[in-house]
Amino acid sequence: MRLKRLILSWLFILAITTGFVYASSTDNHAAPSDATVEEKVYESKTIPQMLVSFYHTTGLEALISPKEGVKTSDGKEMSLFAQSMGRVIMFGVVFLLFYLAIAKQFEPLLLLPIAFGGLLANIPIANMAGDHGMLGIIYNMGIANEFFPLLIFMGVGAMTDFGPLLSNPKTALLGGAAQFGIFGSLVGAAMLSEYTGIFNFTLKQCSAISIIGGADGPTSIFIASALAPELLGAIAVAAYSYMALVPVIQPPIMRALTTKEERRIVMKTTRKVHRLEKLFFPIVVVMMTALFLPDAAPLIGAFALGNFAKESGVVDRLSNEMQNSLINIVTIFLGLGVGSTLASDKFLVVETLGIMIIGLVAFAAGTAAGVIMAKIMNKFSKEPINPLIGAAGVSAVPMAARVVSKVGSEEKPGNVLLMHAMGPNVAGVIGSAVAAGVLLSIFN
Amino acid sequence: MEINLVAESIKFMVLGMLIVLIFLLLLVEVMKWQAKLINKYFPQKAPTTPTPNISQDEESKRVAAIIAAVAEFRKNQKKQG
Repeated sequence: MRLKRLILSWLFILAITTGFVYASSTDNHAAPSDATVEEKVYESKTIPQMLVSFYHTTGLEALISPKEGVKTSDGKEMSLFAQSMGRVIMFGVVFLLFYLAIAKQFEPLLLLPIAFGGLLANIPIANMAGDHGMLGIIYNMGIANEFFPLLIFMGVGAMTDFGPLLSNPKTALLGGAAQFGIFGSLVGAAMLSEYTGIFNFTLKQCSAISIIGGADGPTSIFIASALAPELLGAIAVAAYSYMALVPVIQPPIMRALTTKEERRIVMKTTRKVHRLEKLFFPIVVVMMTALFLPDAAPLIGAFALGNFAKESGVVDRLSNEMQNSLINIVTIFLGLGVGSTLASDKFLVVETLGIMIIGLVAFAAGTAAGVIMAKIMNKFSKEPINPLIGAAGVSAVPMAARVVSKVGSEEKPGNVLLMHAMGPNVAGVIGSAVAAGVLLSIFN
Repeated sequence: MEINLVAESIKFMVLGMLIVLIFLLLLVEVMKWQAKLINKYFPQKAPTTPTPNISQDEESKRVAAIIAAVAEFRKNQKKQG
């Protein structure tokens, strides 16, 4: 009873006000409009009219009945599918990424902001990934110009200890061999687009995709935004999710390529590294880059700067800043900026599927190449080398090294390979930066 | 002119792997060379840690005594001033 009375009285009030507004609106029509033509003249409406026009501004309406002529964030015509079902599917994809980041702990530091950026980018009408939207501003600020990945690289440099590599320099070759993951999958991507009608990658796109095999997030984003920005979202998501899957992808390949005896090899303890060696190392790397591969200078330069700040021991404040607050801030921006490319019109294309496949192949190929190289080195080296550490050559610091150590100690309890695996691991970072430089130099 | 993607990408692969491996080989040589050079001219002061704990304890006791003495001295100075 009470509810009925309430509803009745509400309708009554509504009727009165509508009538009132309607009356005043008829008056307004008579008044001459002084406003300039460009400015949208505010027209008075009745409450039902207002409700209807409000409905037209809701996302619900935009999702249910997509219109022609809606522009994407980069000013292209947006297909009806991308506006409606595409967005709904992307919400699903984003929730899957949330699940992976939170429940499965897949690189949550990056996947969470990326996924949330994707969620925001798919809000209809708001156009948050556009030039004046929050995500668009972040994207233009540091991803379109490849700035944020470099800052991340600087922080990673400040966190990296080259001690294990310096104590056993030849393990750096393993980090080089594992870059076959990049170039092998480059050929794979080219074959996919040459011999199947489904994918149509250009050489630049093939190169940008294959860098996933470097197993290095910032490098992937750097190269993708330089060579194929239209594929950035898929490449970043593939790179980070496969990096999180390293403990799943690598062990079977490592076991398949090695014998039990090889996996049980115990390596000599590493020698102590002189402080000056660590101090000079970043300078040496930068000088070599300057001489042989200036195209890799941004990546290696930022990385070496971070490492030099750490090893110098006199600018702890700067090095702490690089490896803590700065890298955290940039991670938020990087994640949101990459997330903005998860808009349905960019992500829901057949190329994304190809990127996911090639990325997986790239990781596997890199692991295999590293292990095979380690086997060869073990044959010719005076000191024994456990072939497992070759798998750590695919950067993914320090996850890959941990995986190596775990597989090693499963075979032979007490055999700690972690420090030995860290050598190829950090060399892999340099290796993939060099590979990235080579790819850039080809197209420059 | 239509380019064959596969042929092109194989060229990329050869060039890329070659450069990466040469770069890292050079790096290995430089690392070995610098290790030799540094350890020759700035030998690691090996016997910095082996000093046993007892002497360190004594050292810290001595430091504590000095600090206490200085503090006492300052206190007295303040009283006088």
